[in-house]
Amino acid sequence: MKFVITRLIVWFSALLLSGNVIAAPSEITLELPQIETSQYHRPYVAVWVEDAQQQPVKLIALWVEKPDWLKDLRRFWRKIGRSNTALVDAVSGATQKPGHYKLHWDGKDDQGQMLATGNYTLFVEAAREQGGRSLAKHAFQLPATHGVIEIEAEGELGVISAVMR
Amino acid sequence: MLKKAVLLLSSLFLSSSLQAHTLWLVPSHYVLSKPNSWIAVDASAANMTFVPDKGISLNALKLYSPDGSSKAIKDVYQGKRKSMADVQLAGDGSYRLELANPPRFMTLYELNGERKRLMADKQQRTAQLPAGATNVETVKSRSRSFAYITVNAPTDTVLTLQGEGLEISSSTHPADVVAQEALQFVFNINGKPQQHVKGVLSYAGELYRNAAERIEFITDSDGVFRFVPEQAGRYLIEASYSADIASAQADKVRESITYSFEVALP
Repeated sequence: MKFVITRLIVWFSALLLSGNVIAAPSEITLELPQIETSQYHRPYVAVWVEDAQQQPVKLIALWVEKPDWLKDLRRFWRKIGRSNTALVDAVSGATQKPGHYKLHWDGKDDQGQMLATGNYTLFVEAAREQGGRSLAKHAFQLPATHGVIEIEAEGELGVISAVMR
Repeated sequence: MLKKAVLLLSSLFLSSSLQAHTLWLVPSHYVLSKPNSWIAVDASAANMTFVPDKGISLNALKLYSPDGSSKAIKDVYQGKRKSMADVQLAGDGSYRLELANPPRFMTLYELNGERKRLMADKQQRTAQLPAGATNVETVKSRSRSFAYITVNAPTDTVLTLQGEGLEISSSTHPADVVAQEALQFVFNINGKPQQHVKGVLSYAGELYRNAAERIEFITDSDGVFRFVPEQAGRYLIEASYSADIASAQADKVRESITYSFEVALP
């Protein structure tokens, strides 16, 4: 699977804004593209963060239906799904139709602790029954100070953009 | 003439009557996310990796469960080109499918300059060897085929070395094997890493490639074979080891295994 990564723009927020920034969560916008096909099934989608050792630290979103097909989110399944049923149950929600979605993340890990300063990677994986599988990823740093992530559309995933705060 | 040549050849590498063919087990799924799922297991003896050629008996097929217990698989069908088994995996964890036929003993000898063989061990052979037989040697040979399947979280029980015959161990759990990540296998004889185990690594799709792209290997002094799978897919390792033994039943032992596994997408 190839990941098309366009650009990473980082800028620093103005002094005036910084007061509000601390409280505001990171915002991740992702698009599930409209796919023309005779048999469209909504994709299974997972959004999570891994640390520099490629260990999952935070599951942000999981849109799935039946357990049979969770394994098709290959990386998500290996890293999180297969061994953390409680987390899967807590986070999972229904699959979504094509469109734009906003996710928010407060910078805390799965245990509710603020993540330490360091290098992290945002992962978005999508797999569709009778369709394909896409894995998008992008590195970022914490504290993020308004780091912007943009990932080009590829396969089952439309453009992903995020402001990490 | 031809028969003689075949006999001569087979006397060098005896393991089964399907010598030219490699016997393998391929589960329909190596990874599952739902307990009580069924899997289909294909088994065949074939030249090309995962291209079925000859159906084989699955009477000795066993399933080892995450709790360490084992049971015979009864839902089997032997076809002309391949055999199939239906297997249900009840609970979470890693399972081991294994087809292990009992060891065979074969005695090789020469009579009037001609190579001959007997299906007999060292004790049985005395009564059966004709007078004047020379260069008598009895080989105990055993071959096993296996694969691991994991439901939800992986477990290690079925990976534990039994300490008997040729076995593979690895620092990477079979459910964690990923394309482009370094992989190493340790080949053990009677529970200890063994140098000079010979093997061949292959992967699915040979029918549609001009070059089979097989890798022949021999284990190093630590019993290790290392490689990096370039692409995701189904892989097969076949390996064997022969050694002289001093036992009441045989002069030589030959152990062979085949192991099918999945390399997942990164």
